[in-house]
Amino acid sequence: MSEVHPHEEVRPERSPYAARIRAMEALLVEKSVLTEAEIQDRIEYMDSRTPANGAKLVARAWTDPDFKERLLSDAKSAARELGLDATHEAELIVVENTPVVHNLIVCTLCSCYPRAVLGRPPDWYKSFEYRSRAVREPRAVMREFGFEPEEGIEVAVHDSTADARYMVLPMRPEGTKNMDEEELAALLTRDALIGVSAPQAPSRAS
Amino acid sequence: MTPFHPGDRVRVRPAEKPGHVRAPDYLKGRSGWISCVLGHFPNPEDVAYGLSGMPEKTLYRVSFRQSNLWDGYEGPDGDRLYADVYEHWLEPEGER
Amino acid sequence: MSGVHDIGGSSGGPIDQSQHDVEDWERLADAINSALGGKGLQTTDQHRRAIESLPNYRDLGYYERWTAATEKLLIENGILTQAEIDEKASEIERRWGGS
Repeated sequence: MSEVHPHEEVRPERSPYAARIRAMEALLVEKSVLTEAEIQDRIEYMDSRTPANGAKLVARAWTDPDFKERLLSDAKSAARELGLDATHEAELIVVENTPVVHNLIVCTLCSCYPRAVLGRPPDWYKSFEYRSRAVREPRAVMREFGFEPEEGIEVAVHDSTADARYMVLPMRPEGTKNMDEEELAALLTRDALIGVSAPQAPSRAS
Repeated sequence: MTPFHPGDRVRVRPAEKPGHVRAPDYLKGRSGWISCVLGHFPNPEDVAYGLSGMPEKTLYRVSFRQSNLWDGYEGPDGDRLYADVYEHWLEPEGER
Repeated sequence: MSGVHDIGGSSGGPIDQSQHDVEDWERLADAINSALGGKGLQTTDQHRRAIESLPNYRDLGYYERWTAATEKLLIENGILTQAEIDEKASEIERRWGGS
């Protein structure tokens, strides 16, 4: 296995696939299939996508009910309104947490992830353990992340088995009435947008 | 094929099919309800082999009761699982 | 099981929540995959199928699977040959001092 094991002190071996992808890069450029500029653009574009994008969408939805409706009915257009480019996603669907339902996102078959709004998926999301257990025991999985839905809330798991990518719209925490969008966005973690946890209420009174 | 509508009770075909398949094993033979129609898309199971995937197939979001999917499921009866399933993997519940 | 990748519901242990720093070659794998898709030279569905067909699927990391699948498709689609990829990869490994 070439993945980094956090408890090893020895410098991990570089994967043999590193040379292979570099080889493909060199050859594709040599043969003018791709240019270095195109490749570099993609790298930069992918690096620029972070969970702050998703947080921005949610913070706006919390403060603007009409935007929230648009986000829930056509997330790609709503993202575009805030200057986010979600065109690479085949389909982007936002599912809303309510006092009755808590949503959790997984892709059991391959690790599909709403990269346009969350950036790269964390290693755990791509793990065999998450992919296999999230559908069968979502509540146990969420407990591992330190979260338990309140009594009476049902859990809905979304397995991204086709081309739609899903993101969770968490409930706005208590005690945030006087916060502006930026402050609200700061409450939103990537994990809350996947659904393994929920945003925390601010610790000090607002 | 007769289209399904939200609320229709459906079963995921318990079929074995070689190659690229987007209906996961854990749902095969399981019954649920059509939640909504997601649209029409080229069949990814053919596109995966460089074919056109035409004619387009209808994609449905299907909801399942977790207590129906797993023995000893930990959670209330209202817990659900949603999966996006193509029309050719679905049959009306009760049909064999 | 219809495939080694079809693991929803199978048993699994605790989820390792540690995160490795994304390496440059992994960024590159992402980018090349995306760029090839953008040019219509491969589709997401082809890429998924190629990943699923890897005989050593369970032994590879996520980006290793991606890289192996991209290689498979480039050859399948006649864009590059196995021989030239092998040769170039060896040359690069030599330049790096053999890992």
